[in-house]
Amino acid sequence: MDTQVFLTLGSALKWAGIALLPLFALPLVVLALPKLADGLAKRLIAFIDALSGSALGVAMACGVALIFLQLIVVLLRYAFGLSFTWLSEAIMYAFAAMFMLGAAGALRDDAHVRIDILRPRFGENGRNWIELAGAYLLLFPICMRIITTSEVGLARSWLLLEGSRESDGLPIFYLFKTLVPVFALLLMAQGLSESLKAALRLTGALPPAEPSDPLSNGDKRGA
Amino acid sequence: MELEVVLAIAMFVSAVAALIAGYPVALTLGGVALLFALIGIALGVFPDSFLKAFPSRIEGNSIMQSQTLIAVPLFVLMGVILERSRVAEDLLNIAARLLAGVRGGLGFAVILVGMLLAASTGIVGATVISMTLIALPTMLRQGYDVRLATGTIAASGTLGQIIPPSIILILLADAISNAASQANLAQGAGSAVVSVGDLFAGALIPGLLLVALYLIFVAIVAIVRPSAAPAAKLADGTAPLTFNDVALGLGAPLALIFAVLGSILGGVAPPTEASAIGAGGAILLAGLRLARGTGSRLGPMLLAGVASLPVILILRNVLDLRVGDIAHSGLAAAAMGATALACLVLLASLVAGLLVLRRAAELKPALKSSAHITSMVFLILIGASLFSLVFRGFGGDDLVAEILHNVPGGMWGALAMTMLVMFILGFFLDFVEIIFVVVPLVAPPLILLGCDPVWLAILMAVNLQTSFLTPPFGFALFYLRGAAPPEVTTMQIWAGAVPFIGLQLLLLALVAAVPSLATWLPSVVAR
Repeated sequence: MDTQVFLTLGSALKWAGIALLPLFALPLVVLALPKLADGLAKRLIAFIDALSGSALGVAMACGVALIFLQLIVVLLRYAFGLSFTWLSEAIMYAFAAMFMLGAAGALRDDAHVRIDILRPRFGENGRNWIELAGAYLLLFPICMRIITTSEVGLARSWLLLEGSRESDGLPIFYLFKTLVPVFALLLMAQGLSESLKAALRLTGALPPAEPSDPLSNGDKRGA
Repeated sequence: MELEVVLAIAMFVSAVAALIAGYPVALTLGGVALLFALIGIALGVFPDSFLKAFPSRIEGNSIMQSQTLIAVPLFVLMGVILERSRVAEDLLNIAARLLAGVRGGLGFAVILVGMLLAASTGIVGATVISMTLIALPTMLRQGYDVRLATGTIAASGTLGQIIPPSIILILLADAISNAASQANLAQGAGSAVVSVGDLFAGALIPGLLLVALYLIFVAIVAIVRPSAAPAAKLADGTAPLTFNDVALGLGAPLALIFAVLGSILGGVAPPTEASAIGAGGAILLAGLRLARGTGSRLGPMLLAGVASLPVILILRNVLDLRVGDIAHSGLAAAAMGATALACLVLLASLVAGLLVLRRAAELKPALKSSAHITSMVFLILIGASLFSLVFRGFGGDDLVAEILHNVPGGMWGALAMTMLVMFILGFFLDFVEIIFVVVPLVAPPLILLGCDPVWLAILMAVNLQTSFLTPPFGFALFYLRGAAPPEVTTMQIWAGAVPFIGLQLLLLALVAAVPSLATWLPSVVAR
């Protein structure tokens, strides 16, 4: 198979991404000119949230796969003294996919730890402004950086259709590497959705967020 | 002062300030680091190549390809499934019933169950909340002193940090192991490995000691002030506990914990494999618990799965089943077939367990919660690794090492200062962040100064556990407050925590004075 086609595909994706960049100004438009783009913003929020939701679904499935694959490895090794590189690699893939694909969904469901010492005192508006500032100053730059710096290595990996270093490993290491930009892209999209929600709440087009309840967030602290 | 050092300090201060604003920690750490790296590059004091390494770090051995950390999502799954299937609730109820006649019995039950839950879930927030909801109303109804009741619950909930197999200890082992290798490299020695098993073994004696201290404290209160911790009165007409209740509610979770811990400490399985055994066992237990009384046809399938375990264990240990051996006798071949069949039955029973969970509408929430927690932990790892990368690029690690080397009092002075700083950081940072951000900075110089890595890790774990219990910011107290009935005042919760903080500090001093409490067991368990 001629892998050059992936390169063409990749640069097409890149230009599509660049063409979509103006969308990231949408929260500012919503803020500056209320009502003008509210409909578009809400449709975009629904789309992105659903996208992150499906990625989270895949991450959940990976959790189940992780249990079964690792148990199969244990049984094979313990009872029959067998081990397969491709099986251990499949475990690693499921493990990595679980959080690389789940991160955006966790952002949507507000499951990432925040420090909430002063948070309750900022008031509804203050929290929305922090959400906006955080997205533009912290989240977007990180994700952009990950996407742009992983470009060269990823292109090489796809050109070679890079496989496992072991002869009996899985031949899809390039897909494993692709998880990195996919993670960044999903996270960035979810960041856009969250900042749109914050902007809409600031203009009053969305009801205020319900106060976070320590009981419902019992899963927030993994410690 | 050099510009790099100024930037390193400014970055640390800005990160703390930005964290207080309340944006997700992982993104704040990474984002602030990136902004400062860009400033550094613009000023010509930061090598651009450092940032280029970031994506390969994410996909490298420390995050996406980490073999050690695979145990984290599996233990999370185990804990969440056990919690969702109300195994925890049964555990507490049965322990309370068994100890009902004893003065202070409910208090003992809470501590012992906290220990078991800690060993099975290792999630502080979840343990504190579920124990508050289940145990606090009962304790108050039976006339327990409010302060004693809340203190016991909060303290038992934080046991999750230190009693293995806790997620925290896995993450800490990873960080300490890297630090020890770095320190050894600096000394010119080979790389040192601190395994998860070492840390589990090291935490076991201090953890059990802490449980003993808690139990003694409650016993003393029960003797000195019987009114604060009375014997529980059972309501009339309560059916006596059946053997089945005890076996399934208490025996089964105990067996699971022994299987997981025993296989790690006995050297039968590395932690990653043991965590899969734990998660599989949790599915079986949850399935059995939820299928009970529903007359589900999946029940027998689950029992068949339980029955397949001894078959596999016995056949495997009696006969050599290893594939690839030259000649197998007919008996061995038959045994291999039987074992393979038993394995298939086991896997099928796990599917049945998942189906039972799904029918009880608990499967999706459990998986979702696990995916959330796992993503949360690893996003922090990603953000914190960018932070460390940049901090190192500015030479911040040398700065920290220099400060620690210059603290008066040598190793003990440096250790005391580190512990104090971590204690304060524990007020507003989670354990996970501290492990990923602070431990890589302070551990290599401390190990160079002569700290044993396992000892150091256990001290850090006990120290942070204390921090989480300390008012006004202790996380455990915050969760307790959220779940406690309104007539319990915040002041009562704070006052209740004080004696337990004292016990924690006592343990900290003990482990500091007698390092072999932490280092003896790792040196004797099978590697």
